[in-house]
Amino acid sequence: MSAASSQEALRREVRDWLSQNVDAGWRAAMTDSEQEAFFALQKEWFSELVKAGYATPHWPEGWPGGGRSLAEQKIIYEEVARADAPRLILYFVALYHAACTLFECGSAEQQSRYLPAILEGEIWCQGFSEPNAGSDLASLKTRAVRQGDHYVITGQKTWSTMAQYADRCLLLARTDKGERPQAGLTYLLLDMRARGVTVRPISQITGDDEFAEIFFDEVEVPVEDRIGEEGAGWAVAQTTLASERGLTLVELSQRMRYALPLIVDAMRRSDRLDDAAIRRDFGRLITHVDAACALADRYLLKRISGDEAPGDASIVKLYYARTLREFTALGKRIAGLDGQYHRGFMRGATQETGNWTVDFMNSYNWSIAGGSDEIQRNIIAERMLGMPREPRDWTLKGQGA
Amino acid sequence: MTPELNQLTDSARQVVAGLGLGLAADEQEAYSLIAELGWLMVSTPEEQGGLGMGLAGACALHTELGRGLATVPFLPQLLAISAVSSGAWPGQEIWLESMMSGERRVTTSLGESSLTVERDGDGAMKLNGRAVALASADCASHVLVEAADGVCLALLALDQSGVRITARPTWDVTRRLFDLEVSDAALDPQLIIAQGESASLLRQRLAILRDFALAADAVGGAMALLEMTVEYLQTRQQFGRPLALFQALKHRCADLKAHTEAAQALLQDGLDAVTDREGDVIATPEAEMKALAVKQLACSAYAAVAEESLQLHGGIGMTSEHDCHLFLKRALLNEHLGRRQDSYDRGLADRFIAGLNQA
Ligand SMILES: Cc1cc2nc3c(=O)[nH]c(=O)nc-3n(C[C@H](O)[C@H](O)[C@H](O)COP(=O)(O)OP(=O)(O)OC[C@H]3O[C@@H](n4cnc5c(N)ncnc54)[C@H](O)[C@@H]3O)c2cc1C
Repeated sequence: MSAASSQEALRREVRDWLSQNVDAGWRAAMTDSEQEAFFALQKEWFSELVKAGYATPHWPEGWPGGGRSLAEQKIIYEEVARADAPRLILYFVALYHAACTLFECGSAEQQSRYLPAILEGEIWCQGFSEPNAGSDLASLKTRAVRQGDHYVITGQKTWSTMAQYADRCLLLARTDKGERPQAGLTYLLLDMRARGVTVRPISQITGDDEFAEIFFDEVEVPVEDRIGEEGAGWAVAQTTLASERGLTLVELSQRMRYALPLIVDAMRRSDRLDDAAIRRDFGRLITHVDAACALADRYLLKRISGDEAPGDASIVKLYYARTLREFTALGKRIAGLDGQYHRGFMRGATQETGNWTVDFMNSYNWSIAGGSDEIQRNIIAERMLGMPREPRDWTLKGQGA
Repeated sequence: MTPELNQLTDSARQVVAGLGLGLAADEQEAYSLIAELGWLMVSTPEEQGGLGMGLAGACALHTELGRGLATVPFLPQLLAISAVSSGAWPGQEIWLESMMSGERRVTTSLGESSLTVERDGDGAMKLNGRAVALASADCASHVLVEAADGVCLALLALDQSGVRITARPTWDVTRRLFDLEVSDAALDPQLIIAQGESASLLRQRLAILRDFALAADAVGGAMALLEMTVEYLQTRQQFGRPLALFQALKHRCADLKAHTEAAQALLQDGLDAVTDREGDVIATPEAEMKALAVKQLACSAYAAVAEESLQLHGGIGMTSEHDCHLFLKRALLNEHLGRRQDSYDRGLADRFIAGLNQA
């Protein structure tokens, strides 16, 4: 079979499978829903997708569902978006951050231990940010002290998405107060059920509680759950962040493309389908969405061919975040006063739901989380354009760096 | 990109650099050189004696010419070649050969035209109306004319009676544009390339080619200008440090970089979407939408880079000794070549909504 006809066959196969398996009522069921219903739906949809082999198109050759070409991955994400299937937010960190970090930096033993468990439904969270270490991640203070064959963890993480449900945590902790703050960091895989772990969900501006604080009180992590060497955690964390900034957006930018008709719905509802000013802004949005998809695809191609360069993922994320803001702001504008009336949010939905004020507020997920837009701009300017970093000693008098 | 395209890009970059920035090069010498290099054959299929590198090949060259602010009127001739090479019409072989070698020069409108065709009693066709933005028309013997209603595409001799061209100097000094006025000019039946349905298809194809070409020119210009601006910020010192150290300026450069990369990615992605397996442009509604998006994004990126670059250069950017303004003026003109600027955004929305209603 030629590449083109086998791709067509895959498209038909995925489309058929989705048409039989996506429950069209999921959005209604997830609106104003209880956590239990959300948890149940995510779990069920995840296991069905895994069984069908469509949950992990971005995994490498040799792993279930993996080894897909760029074209095949695109087909799967496009079809998932077209079918408007639920988004697997509960498994987001497991499928991307955890898996990609294990593929790139984990030992064979760690891979065979954790990756199959991910496919069986283990939920992961990312424990990087702390109350006093957000953009300046390297300044984090959670301590990991080596004691024999394990580390003892003490400290606090925050903004950790889905931590309240998580089985495991990607933890970045300090093992050493080195010269450069980056040099003393170590990357660990932490069992969220271990003694000394406390999780407290944080209420968000939308009413949802997607993220949580995590407290560690002398939590023990076996040394074999360290990824990379002690003190090499910063480099490992960069692979986690690159997958978060670039790879996840291959699916999400397709989601945005297939959500464009929501804007047309909003125009129709507010009786402004023929409003020339809105049509013009909508046309511009179509172009930006198309470009966001093209950037994400090109990034994926670079990853597959091993040509990824520093800053590539930042471009994808910055552009996606700006376009998502534009998308949701346009929806909000068209909806007018109607968009301002309170309507319950949808759990585990895509970024675009048509509940425009919520969608607009949620678009900040992408301009803040995973390194804010400003941080991406720094990376692009410094790593891609070669502009200088500001000196470390640029501080106010009396405050050390 | 394929290795052939990479090679083409590399050699084009060297040639363009050798020609110097826009104004330094003599337009006629540059034209002879690109003809000699075979660039005029780039998109013509191999079986018609061309290089068979399709739209991708043409865009690689347009990008490099845009990068170097080239004055050479490559695009109008390339569009005319594309028209001449399509379908089957009496003069095809001779015209194609002499146009690809650069011996015969044909200009094409890069803007909107309002030409109409009328048939008189004996079936002879008469052309009337106006067309704008014919580049370097004073060096061409003929112009490719499209009747606005899609009735026909033909070559029209510029020295024929009833045909007049007028130079219209633009702020962009890297292009020389002319208006065309036609009153009751007879169309030579031997020079009619397409009529009816096939003429309107060809018209759509040429619009797609033109939009992609302008986009490629814009991407090349935006990349070159952003590089130049970053370099300037690295060397210019104020407050005892290079300007490049100020984050307010770094972030603007980063945004421009993202805008430019997006335009380039969309252009590359679009090349696949609008061509068939042989690399020929297909005139489908999807391809047309892609062309609108590609042109709009690339030209807006170029204009954004140019506008910001002028600001970031400070006073020196306002002087005619510096190249900044050459880029700005070309970027501004690019936005207004092709369709009317606002009609790109509107056109996309209209087509998208019409598509939803059909589905
Ligand atoms: C929805 C959501 C989900 C998240 N999920 C996770 C998760 O699962 N795991 C996790 O570890 N973290 C998570 N985060 C945390 C996220 O990574 C941080 O919020 C982010 O890195 C910013 O840090 P901060 O909130 O401390 O803001 P700050 O760093 O205090 O930044 C405040 C403002 O200052 C700007 N700023 C900071 N430094 C600079 C600079 N050098 N130059 C210019 N401007 C600067 C920022 O861009 C921002 O606008 C999540 C955040 C959100 C919003």
